[in-house]
Amino acid sequence: MTCQRCQDEAVVHLTELVDGRRRERHLCAGCARKAGLVLPEAPADLGLDAVLTSLIKKHVGELVGELAESSCPDCRLRYVDFRTSGRLGCPHDYRAFREGLLPMLQRFHGATRHVGKRARVRPGAALRLRLRSRLRQAVAREDYEEAARLRDQIRPKDQNE
Amino acid sequence: MTLDDLTRTSGEWLRGTGPESDIVMCSRIRLARNLADFPFTNRASRGEKAEIEAQARAAVASAEPEASFFDVNAMPNLDRQFLVERQIISRELAGGEGPRAVAVSPRENASIMVNEEDHLRIQYMLSGFRLHEVWEEINALDDRLEEHVAYAYSPSLGYLTACPTNVGTGIRVGVMLHLPGIVANKGIDKVFRALQKINLAVRGLYGEGSQAFGDFYQVSNHQTLGKSEEEIIRMLTDVVPQVLQFERQARQELVTGRRQHLHDQVSRAYGVLKTAQTISSEETMLLLSSVRMGINLGLIDDLSIATVNELFIQTQPAFLQKLRGGELGVEERNVARASYLRARLAEGRGDDE
Repeated sequence: MTCQRCQDEAVVHLTELVDGRRRERHLCAGCARKAGLVLPEAPADLGLDAVLTSLIKKHVGELVGELAESSCPDCRLRYVDFRTSGRLGCPHDYRAFREGLLPMLQRFHGATRHVGKRARVRPGAALRLRLRSRLRQAVAREDYEEAARLRDQIRPKDQNE
Repeated sequence: MTLDDLTRTSGEWLRGTGPESDIVMCSRIRLARNLADFPFTNRASRGEKAEIEAQARAAVASAEPEASFFDVNAMPNLDRQFLVERQIISRELAGGEGPRAVAVSPRENASIMVNEEDHLRIQYMLSGFRLHEVWEEINALDDRLEEHVAYAYSPSLGYLTACPTNVGTGIRVGVMLHLPGIVANKGIDKVFRALQKINLAVRGLYGEGSQAFGDFYQVSNHQTLGKSEEEIIRMLTDVVPQVLQFERQARQELVTGRRQHLHDQVSRAYGVLKTAQTISSEETMLLLSSVRMGINLGLIDDLSIATVNELFIQTQPAFLQKLRGGELGVEERNVARASYLRARLAEGRGDDE
């Protein structure tokens, strides 16, 4: 059966009684969500991680559901992993997960803007964080040529400072 | 300086000197800092942690040349516990894994943990109520370290930390208070609630989650974003004197209302510590707390505060085992503790520096 709103396969089948009249709706997952119909939970994967993830999604809401799978391009940490462990993976996460972090900072600190001591500006640091992340990936896929090249790129700058 | 040298000295913060030192054992500030170009410790590879440690070692060598650098990863478990007892490293660093280290200044005022939850956890302690001095010292040390490493920092969020609860200033400003009077008049819960209401945290002698013992409590900020370091310090310097006043009042009531009872309790405590043949850590802390208050109230006059302060740390399990040169079971430790106490208390005031 196809969705009554679009041509996708319908997965939600709902029979309602409205003013004594029977009404049937057949919708795909996307249209059902837009119509505000709650989807039944996917069959539970009984791993602890999956249980935790579903609990977190349930309590932190739909925004996290979308954010949850997003990950940091540098350290590859997923937002949902951060919500499980409470620890971020690298300085860049503060930018990657900004949307989820700001409300959390407001709740805990009662503020979202830093006041106080300032660090020195070091323009090369963010680039080296990225290079290191590419280095880790190169090592993981055993691309030692690329790894050596990246190492050379990271090294001389360390020594300049 | 080696770890064994530390068994023959004690930290400056135990001296019992400085303002309000009858109640404020020490003032402490720690700063959480991370290197900008590495993932946070929990996400760093072994190789990266080793690089972080090498960079930290080089930075410390220039910034705090007199400090000794210890490889915590290569250290026997007993030595790690010994450093935890002395408040030089955290339980988290002791129980961690992979390359990690600590640098300690000669009088143990400054310590820098490497690869704890954050790459660098800088700590500075002074005896007594001296938060402004502590801030001057740690701020300067932080500046010197920063000459050699690039810190993870954002103009809008401040110093970036592995846990968002430390972001911003990355600062924890705290005092360690001895509050036997408030504990005795059962006012301690009320004080806790009042402090928590204004967003201050209260913890035991050994930090997060640890049970307060010896009537010692650490009071510190826990919000780090949106207030400057000076504002956070001011919050403590405004509030702590009120707690001190409660404690003095409580002690005064004990002296005027039940002087004989109090004198008896203090003298018995001192007597047991001087003569016991075997004694547990818990009982020692309890009795030392009485004796410490007794000295402050003029009920004991042949013992210095510094000695009692030291004994709180030097009757802990790892110190005793270091002193005896090896692992001891609980029973053996209790005997060793009693014997150490007898020796130290027989020295009396002669031990003072």
